[in-house]
Amino acid sequence: MSEIRKMLFVTKFEELGFDALQSLLTLRQADLEHVVFMNVIERDKVALHRGKGYQKGEEIRLREAANIRFIDWAETLFEEGMEVGVYIVVGTMVSQVLKAAEKEGSDLIVIGRPVRKGGLNYLYSGSAVTELLRRSAVPVLVYKGMAENNYLIDKPFSRPLLATDWEAASRRAVEYLKPLRGVIEKVHVMHVADEKALSKKASAMEIQRTRKVTRHKLEEICDDLEASGITARPLIYVGDPDEEIERAAQECKASLVVLGSSSRSAWAERWLGSTPRQIAEKSPYPTLLIPPAKALAAG
Amino acid sequence: MSEKVLVVDDDPDVQLFSVTVLEENGYTPLTANDGQEGMAVIRKEVPALVILDVLMPRESGIKLYRTLRTDAKFKSVPVIVLSGISKRSFLRSQNALAEFGGEKVPEPNLYLEKPVEPEELANAIKTVLG
Repeated sequence: MSEIRKMLFVTKFEELGFDALQSLLTLRQADLEHVVFMNVIERDKVALHRGKGYQKGEEIRLREAANIRFIDWAETLFEEGMEVGVYIVVGTMVSQVLKAAEKEGSDLIVIGRPVRKGGLNYLYSGSAVTELLRRSAVPVLVYKGMAENNYLIDKPFSRPLLATDWEAASRRAVEYLKPLRGVIEKVHVMHVADEKALSKKASAMEIQRTRKVTRHKLEEICDDLEASGITARPLIYVGDPDEEIERAAQECKASLVVLGSSSRSAWAERWLGSTPRQIAEKSPYPTLLIPPAKALAAG
Repeated sequence: MSEKVLVVDDDPDVQLFSVTVLEENGYTPLTANDGQEGMAVIRKEVPALVILDVLMPRESGIKLYRTLRTDAKFKSVPVIVLSGISKRSFLRSQNALAEFGGEKVPEPNLYLEKPVEPEELANAIKTVLG
């Protein structure tokens, strides 16, 4: 998997501001050299309304408001010698983001989490973020913090917690982290063992065997990361993955949770649930989702 | 035959504005939507002048400008930058790039900050092309 050279930064400004962007510029110590800003004006804000028609004036106003912000941000990055691009488009968030990511050849998409804007209105709908996570062939960082407590983690990539389920996407996540050795201080690699392993019917021997096998698999991943120059430590938790990942993130003072995203079909995901989606949407930690190698293309 | 002038800008309104000014003043306009497309047109058509935006998708005007100025074949093609990005930031970006590349890149022939009036753009083109 390639380095993070180009980042697509999708914002509506209220959830992801310049401070969030700056915190991600630590990735320059790895390979980041190009940031593409994107603002999607949802079609219903300017669409045909009874008696009003298409609100061209509103579109221009929204475009220019976004443009003013992006010009300020771009000037700062240009002056630091970075390459910057911009998209301000009217349309549906998911398809526009996927199109831009494909056109730009982005290595990472950054988006704010779905947060309440007031009343029942969400800045992004949960389903839009879920759809993006499911359809993106590019890793997606769901960034958080600003809308909840005005606190942003300074260096989100400094202490990632990699939660593995041994699937292909989790293995891909390990490869994705390797080029970030200049940015990462320490990785915690965890696996949440199924509670059934500790059921009353299981013998002490069986429980210990489960722990031993899991531990060895985690140590192999840690060895692999350490061979790439990244300090790594294994962690085993038992129980509900959503809760235990959150607990581990807290206990090891993680700056970021990294997960392989589900390769299940949409139908299976609805039926079985999805830990990556739950963490991405509900956890207070920034969450980096690595898709399986063959994700659906933009469309 | 009239001189070819390339407009590199992702904003269709600005493209239309610049193309209209060019046609009204007897030039042949060419257009490109970003730096990559712009460079392809320059290689193919070798225009007499490039009117260049800075903040664009795929490849910025800053990168295109630097490519132009460091390419022996195209370094003499004049450039008018027409952008919302300030001249100060543009020049600082070139300095920042120079720190990496060790080269000093000359300033563009003219720098216009958006928005401009049609006469202002027409006069700028005439000043540069003579």
